[in-house]
Amino acid sequence: MSSCGNPQSTDADELMPRRLKFGRSRVCVRCRENPGNIVIRHAVYCRDCFSPLVTMKFRKALQPAINASAGTSKRPRLKAEGNLLMAFSGGLGSSVLLDIIHSTYFSGQPPVDEDGNPVGGKKHPRNASVWPSASVCYVEVCSAFPGMRDRTEEVRGAVEQYPSFEFVPLRVEDAFDKSWWEQVGGAPSAFQLSVDLGIGNLSLASASSTPPDLTPVESMRTYLASLPTPTAVSSAIQNLVRMLTLHAARSRGASHLLLGTSLTSLSIGLISSISQGGGYATREELQEEWTPSGFGSTETSRPISIVRPLRDVTMKECAAYAWWNDIKIVGRDKSARAIQGIANLTKDFIVGLEKDYPSTVSTIARTCAKLAPKDAPNGNCILCQRPVQHGIQEWKSRISIRSYADAKLALAAHTHPSSQCDPPAQPLDPMPSLTPRLCYSCHTTLTSRSSRGLKTTGHLPAPLPVWSKQSGQSEMRDAIADYLLDG
Amino acid sequence: MSSDTLSLKIEFGGGLELLFSNQRIHNISIPASVPLDNSITSADSIPPADVKQADVTFLMHYLRETLLTERPELFIDNGTVRPGILVLINDTDWELEGEGEYVLKDKDEIVFISTLHGG
Repeated sequence: MSSCGNPQSTDADELMPRRLKFGRSRVCVRCRENPGNIVIRHAVYCRDCFSPLVTMKFRKALQPAINASAGTSKRPRLKAEGNLLMAFSGGLGSSVLLDIIHSTYFSGQPPVDEDGNPVGGKKHPRNASVWPSASVCYVEVCSAFPGMRDRTEEVRGAVEQYPSFEFVPLRVEDAFDKSWWEQVGGAPSAFQLSVDLGIGNLSLASASSTPPDLTPVESMRTYLASLPTPTAVSSAIQNLVRMLTLHAARSRGASHLLLGTSLTSLSIGLISSISQGGGYATREELQEEWTPSGFGSTETSRPISIVRPLRDVTMKECAAYAWWNDIKIVGRDKSARAIQGIANLTKDFIVGLEKDYPSTVSTIARTCAKLAPKDAPNGNCILCQRPVQHGIQEWKSRISIRSYADAKLALAAHTHPSSQCDPPAQPLDPMPSLTPRLCYSCHTTLTSRSSRGLKTTGHLPAPLPVWSKQSGQSEMRDAIADYLLDG
Repeated sequence: MSSDTLSLKIEFGGGLELLFSNQRIHNISIPASVPLDNSITSADSIPPADVKQADVTFLMHYLRETLLTERPELFIDNGTVRPGILVLINDTDWELEGEGEYVLKDKDEIVFISTLHGG
């Protein structure tokens, strides 16, 4: 009878010779002359051939996304419609991103005439940059983690190595700061949208139950403290950083937002996102175009292409490129990595997998690139601005098991307090719910409870990020108008 | 033979230096012959059958015992470097040199680079 356990003798396996991680030869597969210095997915490259290989992959991933329309030319001149914004975390991928963008598109001097002026004049198309200006956006998240060091100045030092780039420092609490929102062109608003995360249907909180004016840091901490699991906290911070960067790009008239996501990080992001209910937005995780709505001028509401030019370059290649090109890595504080959510567990799994099976990581990305949603989206999520799938709540209610206690709690919260002591009185209409305006992933982030039990936050309504007002302002304001106090 | 030593230059990058007193470069000397079990005791008193030439696996154990100041699990995992750490031996990927079995030579330069600092 066969057994599912380990075979009796594993000696034979232990004595098997280890498989080499490269082909037969140690000579570079590209120049076929120099001895190899690095193994990339079983292929050997010398140091001289390695850096051009990385920059070639980088340009191949980026350049098709630069021109809005290539026309009939086979090699169209690269010219973007707007400015460039690069998201910088101080990590390996974004440091390599900055370096390659600078050396490829911003360090070249146009040919000059005898007087030192650019040939054909400064305005000659040949001498124009691909993007009129380039900025680097860094979002400091130290306020979300007690005891974490503020690294803005270190990051500023790293960015200042590239004089063509303007540094745009942001803080994660800006997501709850009305003045920042108005600075980046958002509509001024007197009311703070809050949601009650203690009950299943995510009712918007009325003005009477909304906490008094909180500072942006307090609002952010209340929001994060209301989330049910460590995975939700990690995912919410990631989403806040993403949306802050998007709005920074929009406000600076950017047509392209570049992220330093390597192939390894991309595979981690894909698996992690799918496991948190983000399967419908898999295409957006790979490459997306965001069209801001509700902002005045055309310059600040043009579509922004979010591109990951390092999506074909593994973390190992990034590390070797950074080392051989003397790129300084600021690094991330360990408290940010300490959250044991799905994202970090997925990272450990994929990085371990890449060590022994280096091709599997690219297989994840290539397989996900073939996925497409079955039907058209039903608008965008007000928290993450990614597409919302049709009928997700009906589906969720069919497959979810809700306890009687949840239903009772929700009913009690939707009923006017006086109605509980005075049964004949008519209950007020329930507060509008946030649920229909959320994508499956954000809804799961806000509601999926830990198997270790529900966090007790005393049912304080959690303030929502400032952009959620813009996204659903008119309809929600109408719905909750009776409950609002003039601010 | 066992009294011979090897001078090595060890360098840490990508944030790994934080585990080693935040010092990027360490110049160290290790014995040329070491115990088979990678312990850092002298090989002089050990039978010749239990002695080997110093290799990268021994070096990792040596670094963990003598220079590592915090969180050893972020450096060594299952007897080898943790996944996500790139090792260069004289500027060449250690996968081309036999990984942990590479026999160290005098004046070798070994670099450990962490790739785990995100995007």
